Amino acid sequence: MSNIIESHNLSKVYNPDTIPVNAVSGVNLQVEEGEFTALVGPSGSGKTTLLNLIGGLDYPTGGSVNIEGVDITKMSENKLIDFRLKNIGFVFQAYNLIPVLTASENVEFVMLLQKTSKREREKRAVELLTEVGLKDKLDKRPSELSGGQQQRVAVARALASKPRFILADEPTANLDSKSTENLLEIMAKLNIEDKMTFIFSTHDQRVIDKARRVVTLVDGKIVSDVKQ
Amino acid sequence: MLFKIAWRNIWRNHIRSVVVIASVAVGLFAGMFMMAFFQGAINQEVQSTVETQLSHIQFHNPAFIDDKDANFTIDNGQAIISGLKSDKNVKAVSGRIITTGMISSSSTASGVEIHGVNPGDEKNVSSLSHDIIEGDYFTGVKKNEIVIGKKLAEKLGVKLHNKLVLTFQSKSGDLTAGSFRIAGIFRSPNSAFDEAMVFTRLGDLADLLGTGNELHEIAVLLKDGQKVEQVTKTYKKTYPLLLVQTWKELSPQMALLTGIMDQMMYIIIGIILLALMFGIINTMLMAVLERQREFGMLMAIGMNKPRVFLMILLESVMLTCAGIPAGMLLVIGTVGYLGRHGIDLSSISQALSQYGFSSIIYPDLQRSMFLPVTLMTAFTAVLSAIYPAIKALRFKPAEAIHKI
Repeated sequence: MSNIIESHNLSKVYNPDTIPVNAVSGVNLQVEEGEFTALVGPSGSGKTTLLNLIGGLDYPTGGSVNIEGVDITKMSENKLIDFRLKNIGFVFQAYNLIPVLTASENVEFVMLLQKTSKREREKRAVELLTEVGLKDKLDKRPSELSGGQQQRVAVARALASKPRFILADEPTANLDSKSTENLLEIMAKLNIEDKMTFIFSTHDQRVIDKARRVVTLVDGKIVSDVKQ
Repeated sequence: MLFKIAWRNIWRNHIRSVVVIASVAVGLFAGMFMMAFFQGAINQEVQSTVETQLSHIQFHNPAFIDDKDANFTIDNGQAIISGLKSDKNVKAVSGRIITTGMISSSSTASGVEIHGVNPGDEKNVSSLSHDIIEGDYFTGVKKNEIVIGKKLAEKLGVKLHNKLVLTFQSKSGDLTAGSFRIAGIFRSPNSAFDEAMVFTRLGDLADLLGTGNELHEIAVLLKDGQKVEQVTKTYKKTYPLLLVQTWKELSPQMALLTGIMDQMMYIIIGIILLALMFGIINTMLMAVLERQREFGMLMAIGMNKPRVFLMILLESVMLTCAGIPAGMLLVIGTVGYLGRHGIDLSSISQALSQYGFSSIIYPDLQRSMFLPVTLMTAFTAVLSAIYPAIKALRFKPAEAIHKI
């Protein structure tokens, strides 16, 4: 399997001129296509920062991130936005759906940004929401959905753009056990059946148990990298 | 979908949006009502000036304008009147003789401009006969009757049917005087006019002045006041030896007032919209800062900066534009009602009449006001969105996503 993500000596220092904080320090990480990888570690260990750097949401202070051979750290902000739209799916801890749109409109929105035709958008939104078990919630707004349901809409939205991989930042942090189980099943199924690459940061042991690779960070450095 | 998101976004906080929409509506109403009020006042003043004093067009001997000497008469005045009466554009024509002199009562005297008029013709040109409040407008056949203004009557301490003496220089240069009995007292909207003008029959004044059938002034009222420039141009060619002037040329201050009215009104509307702009900026800024996490998410999933900018712009324009019809309806309804019934400003009628304004103002809303005011308001909305939108574009997705 080829590496889809490669980071070389990646570092991120916050407040370099006042009180420097080394959030990520010299991280070398390779992720192959189809992996189901968990980034774990205590709070402040740099999980979210690493995900942000891999996802092009932030620029590192040192090192590089190559996505399928393209160094995204050299890209301008505008090019990065376009790159993210075409290549990366995001699932956030707090769901972060557009509150004024329905579940299907939220999923369609990413495709609208990709200039997909209305017909195809509607068809794919229904397919994806059916896949995550929300066929009967197409017209519900986020406020009418439970946390678990919102996070499943977020997964469907992440898949809508047909990304190369999905980054999920503590996706189960706000969910109850049943919703967590449900979401993990969906993500695992997508990983196995569609070969979708998942990288998620988590504290949740149930998520860690499901992961096939666990990368542990402490003080911004990788201290263990275990395939299970 | 951007339109849908923008529209739904403005209704996320109903109260805030309703307050902004109401401020746009009230601001627009205030600005347009003020425009309609002043437009109405000026229209009335112009109408009053044209109908009681100047008429649309006047003919003079060119020398008469600078020096109101009785000798500067219009050659063949009566023939010109006959010619003008046959013009299809003309509603009425009146010939006048004019001189300046003193008017004296038993107690005091005052300087006045004396107009000798043919009441039959003058009634059709001037509305002064409708402003008579005591007596009548030359209905009898008695000689040496005079019609004076209420203000002058008060100043001279005279009443209806009292006698007054007019003293002035005749055509031959002699000082001449005549005794006149007050037949009528008028009150026009312009108190300065009421104090300075007196009217006699043309024949009575001509006898004293020694002008015979000659005229100093020919006043023309047109059927359509909008054609005044066009008709005057023709008359200037037809009567090259006479001074032919429109009411705007005769009263440049009035022409200036109507001319600067539009600019003044747009400045007032501009000031109102400027104040409104800060309100909209404040609202949009609050809306943007409250949704930092959402903007972070939108940029994270691939919404580019021009789209983010456009969405905020749309929200501002929609919010503002929702207030435009409300404001327009409010002003149309109010001006529609007050345009028929008038705004009674009798409590300050004295001050108003000194400036020639009527004490009842009928606001007049020009249709041509709507488009520019709407465009100015929409432009304000766009301007108001720029700063909040720039603020949103500066959010860093990684930081914004984690904002509470």
